[in-house]
Amino acid sequence: MIELLASTLRLSTPLIFAAMGGFLCERSGVATICLEGVLLTSAWAAATVTYFSHNPYLGVLAAVMIGTLTMSLHAFLSVKAKSDQIISGVAVNLLAAGITPILTKLLFSSPTNTQTIPMAERLNSSVLIVMAFVFPFLIHFLTYRTGWGLRLLACGDGPEALKTSGISPKSFRFVALALGGAIVSFGGAYLSIAHASQFTRDMTAGRGFIALTALIFGKWRPLPAFLTCLFFGLTDALQIQLQSHPILGNSFPIQALQIFPYLVTLFVLVGFIGRATPPRAINQPEQ
Amino acid sequence: MSLGDLKKNFLGPVMAILISALVTSLILISLGESPEILWEAFTSTFFTSFGMGYTLYYTTPLILTGLSVALCFHAGLFNIGAEGQLHLGAAGIVAASFLFPQLPWYLAIPLGIVISFLSGGLWGLIAGFLKAKRGSHEVIVTILLNFIGITFVNYLILYPFKNTLVQNPETHEISKSFFLPPLSALTGYFGSEIFRTTPVNVTLFLSLIAAVSCHYFLFNTTKGYELRTLGQNPKVAKFNGIALAPNLILVFFLSGGLAGLVGVNEVMGFSHKLIEGFSPQYGFTGIAVALMARNSPLGVILAALLFGSIHNGAREIEFLSERITKEISIVMEAFLIILIAGHRYFLTTFVRIFKRGSRD
Repeated sequence: MIELLASTLRLSTPLIFAAMGGFLCERSGVATICLEGVLLTSAWAAATVTYFSHNPYLGVLAAVMIGTLTMSLHAFLSVKAKSDQIISGVAVNLLAAGITPILTKLLFSSPTNTQTIPMAERLNSSVLIVMAFVFPFLIHFLTYRTGWGLRLLACGDGPEALKTSGISPKSFRFVALALGGAIVSFGGAYLSIAHASQFTRDMTAGRGFIALTALIFGKWRPLPAFLTCLFFGLTDALQIQLQSHPILGNSFPIQALQIFPYLVTLFVLVGFIGRATPPRAINQPEQ
Repeated sequence: MSLGDLKKNFLGPVMAILISALVTSLILISLGESPEILWEAFTSTFFTSFGMGYTLYYTTPLILTGLSVALCFHAGLFNIGAEGQLHLGAAGIVAASFLFPQLPWYLAIPLGIVISFLSGGLWGLIAGFLKAKRGSHEVIVTILLNFIGITFVNYLILYPFKNTLVQNPETHEISKSFFLPPLSALTGYFGSEIFRTTPVNVTLFLSLIAAVSCHYFLFNTTKGYELRTLGQNPKVAKFNGIALAPNLILVFFLSGGLAGLVGVNEVMGFSHKLIEGFSPQYGFTGIAVALMARNSPLGVILAALLFGSIHNGAREIEFLSERITKEISIVMEAFLIILIAGHRYFLTTFVRIFKRGSRD
């Protein structure tokens, strides 16, 4: 039972970071399906820099820099170049999925994984887990209790209003996406240097999409999205425990638990359990 | 097609290809790869029967997923769910073969094709139905359906259909009557050696027929006109009495069906079984194909050929090189998408810099 709880905390941490970062991006009015790509590049950067510098904090710093850069590419394409935001997201995801194994092969002569980081040089995961539990409240406060937060909501729901008050929605979105990308990157760093001891190809395994799903399930609000991440972390922990169970492990199809997050979110989206409405100006490039 | 049209439709894509090929080559060379290997991969992709065979084998599913995405784009919809739909299509064929193993080939082959279209189509239809009836955004729904569909198919591969004689996650072989002949059987009949030992099969013709049918459907039928009107201007469509809901459902059914046909190429044409992770993201590459082709169904054939050869070239590079992996094709794909999706911005910036340069 305790083990299940601990495992839930460990597995939901990257989801929380990704969902909170995604919250800032999506709420500023930019559809962000590239959380997966940002997680991937930041996880790679964290593992690589930690391995070479023997310092996990430098690894986190590198993850944040590379992750922010990756999300800024999405910001540049969708805000500045006015590409379709979904297509830009697909491109960023593809770029991340392609470039990480190439660089890994180049530096570690194996396309599948980086060299293992010794236990002593890994990041203590409790730091990041605590951060993951503080961030949602911080972001809740930032969004609903500060002027910046109100401007963020306006940017996603009625950018014309923001424009009238003398703020350019374009530059505001750039800031929101850079900040969001930085937060997502903590999730990537957690995956490769705290939860594991190396970067492996496609190690994010759809977590970016699960986080996006949690954000939708939480109806684009930080605290419900946070709770949803915990819930999805629990289903993931259950699935792992079942897999190692001596009797159930062979007979119970774990796929039933794997699709669970997507299935319940589909129900919410369809409107069977409340209704999830995206920010109004999402996926419309600001003219 | 006049000269102006030709310029308009081909200049952009050709420039995008040249730029991204240049950038990718520069990346490869700066990573320490010798240009000879690039050249060797290029010639082997385009000038050997083996390379052409594999290129066409990769082109076939990309034509189908490209059409799937393009058809939806014409109706103003974004189908990012081709990946899930093609998994369902492939699983449908395997299920049909296990249910009716004794069918003669002249019934088995049409059945396989129809089943793959139907199972992919029904999976796609869900997104259209939910958009029409509940207003759920098709992008989010198809992302979710991708995960649900692929996980479901993986379950089928690992449990009910699992070939317990082998370790690998794959199904039993389908019955022989469902096999489609490879193109080498056809060329061999005429005494030619071309395409020998390559997996390209007659599904290529099926995908070409699909492309021509899509072109005819979109530009020469009333339904096609209705779909295009919906995509161009929903208000005009409404005032002309074009119903939204049935058209949304129809276009997603057809799109899903086209993606489902990828299963024919994979299961009936080549591996004769379903293997976990058989698709190297054909569904997502379909988005790039449709973008490149500007949603023209006939253009999709050319664009798919391009992406098929990129895919094959990257495979060759991985084989020849000690430093570079085949993921270089995904990187080049991403560059192409970026260039095409933002082409207006890049062009105006280019023109501005050019003008400023000439003034100084």
